[in-house]
Amino acid sequence: MSEYTFLFDLDATVTKAEILPEIAARINKAQEMRELTERTMAGELPFAQSFYRRVGVLKGIPVSEVKKLVGQVPLHEELAAFIRENRERCYLVTGNLDIWIEELVDRLGLAGRVYCSQASVEDDRIARIEHILDKSKVMEEFAGRPLVAVGDGSNDAAMIAAAEIGIGFGGVRPVAPPLLRCATHAVYSEEKLCQFLRQLL
Amino acid sequence: MPVSKTIVISCAGMGTRLGIGSTKALLDIDGKPLIIRQLELLKEFDDIRIVVGYQMEKVMEVAGAYRPDLLFVLNHNYRNTGTGGSFSLGIRHARELVVSLDGDLLVHPDDLARVLGSDRECVCGSVLGTEDPMRMKTLTQDGQVYGVGFSRQEGEYEWTGLAQVRRDRLTPGDRHVCDMMAPLLPLPMELIRTREIDTMADYERAVAWVKGGYRETV
Repeated sequence: MSEYTFLFDLDATVTKAEILPEIAARINKAQEMRELTERTMAGELPFAQSFYRRVGVLKGIPVSEVKKLVGQVPLHEELAAFIRENRERCYLVTGNLDIWIEELVDRLGLAGRVYCSQASVEDDRIARIEHILDKSKVMEEFAGRPLVAVGDGSNDAAMIAAAEIGIGFGGVRPVAPPLLRCATHAVYSEEKLCQFLRQLL
Repeated sequence: MPVSKTIVISCAGMGTRLGIGSTKALLDIDGKPLIIRQLELLKEFDDIRIVVGYQMEKVMEVAGAYRPDLLFVLNHNYRNTGTGGSFSLGIRHARELVVSLDGDLLVHPDDLARVLGSDRECVCGSVLGTEDPMRMKTLTQDGQVYGVGFSRQEGEYEWTGLAQVRRDRLTPGDRHVCDMMAPLLPLPMELIRTREIDTMADYERAVAWVKGGYRETV
C-alpha cells in the first residue's frame, strides 16, 4: 500500500456540476453566477474577490435552503465511492462555505476531513464571511507528506503543484490552462480517474 | 476482454526534424491523425497512457475526442528529455507489464496485435529502413532471435522503440527508451513491420504504406 493522502477539490470535481451556479439558477441569477465562475476558473478574477461577489449573489437565500440544495447536487458517484471507501486517506479542499456544504460532506462521509471557507450565520442568513480558504496555505499543513491532488480550476493550481501526483480532472469542463501547467496528469473521464486513483492506493 | 497491461504512448516531442511545426502525433496519415491510427489498434486495452508535452492541449483534445478513457501524463520537461523521460513518467504506478510505443511509429496492425497479444517480454526490431538508425545487435539460439545490445554501427535490425517488459525491472531515465532496455538484455526480439516518421520522406512513405493497406512494396 502507498503512503499517499488524497486531496479533492469539490465543485465540478467531486460534484457533477458547479454548485453555486446550480443554486443561482433557482433565483434566476444563473447567468450572473456563471460569468463570475467562468472568469474565476480561467484565472481572470482572483478567487477571493470572486467568492465575495458570488456569495453576494446568493446571500438573499436562507442558509438552510442553500444547504439543502447543495446537499442534492449530483456527484461523480464512482469517485464518491472511492472517497467513502478510503475515507481515512481523503480530504476535501474547497473554497466553498462550511455552512453550505455540510450535507454534501456528510454524503461523502468526510465530516471532519474538510478544508473550506467559513461564514457566520444570523437568522438563517449569512452574517459575515469569516475566512476564505487559500489552498496554498492548506498545502503548508500537508508539507512533507506524499500527496495526490485532484482538481479542475485555476484556484486548484497551488494544491496540484504541491502534490507528487497532481491530476487535472476535466469531468465537467476542460481543465483550466494554469492547472495544466503544473499538473502531472490530466484525465477526462471519471472511470479513468478512478482506475488511476486505485492504482495509487 | 481487456488485457492487463499498461500501454504508454510517448507523444511529447516537437518533431523538429520533420519541420512542420506540429507534434508528430497530430500528423495526418491518410485522413486521420497518427495518434488516432495508433489508438484504433488498441481498442481492447483499458490502461492507455499518452505522454504529452509540446502542443499538449491539442493532442489531448484530438485523442480525447476519439476515446475519453485515456490517462494523459504531462511531460513539462519535454524539451530536455528523450522518449525515455516520457516513458519513465508513463510507467509510474502502472501495471506489472508495460508497453513502450513511440508516438511517431506506425506498426503493421497484425504485428502489433501479435506482440500485444502475448504477455511475454520482448523488444521489437524491424528491417533497416531509416537514415542513421539505432540498430539492434542480436543472436539466435534454438530458432529464437534475442536482442543483445544497441549500436549505431552494428546490428542486422533496427530498434523500433516498441517493447514489452515488466515494470519492476526498469530503472527510470531521461534519455532514450533503449537506454532503459539495455540493462534488461538479452530479451526475445520480435520482428515487426513499421514506418517511423522522422523526415518528410519518411512521412510520405508512411502515408503510402497506410493507403496501400500496409502492403510491403519492396
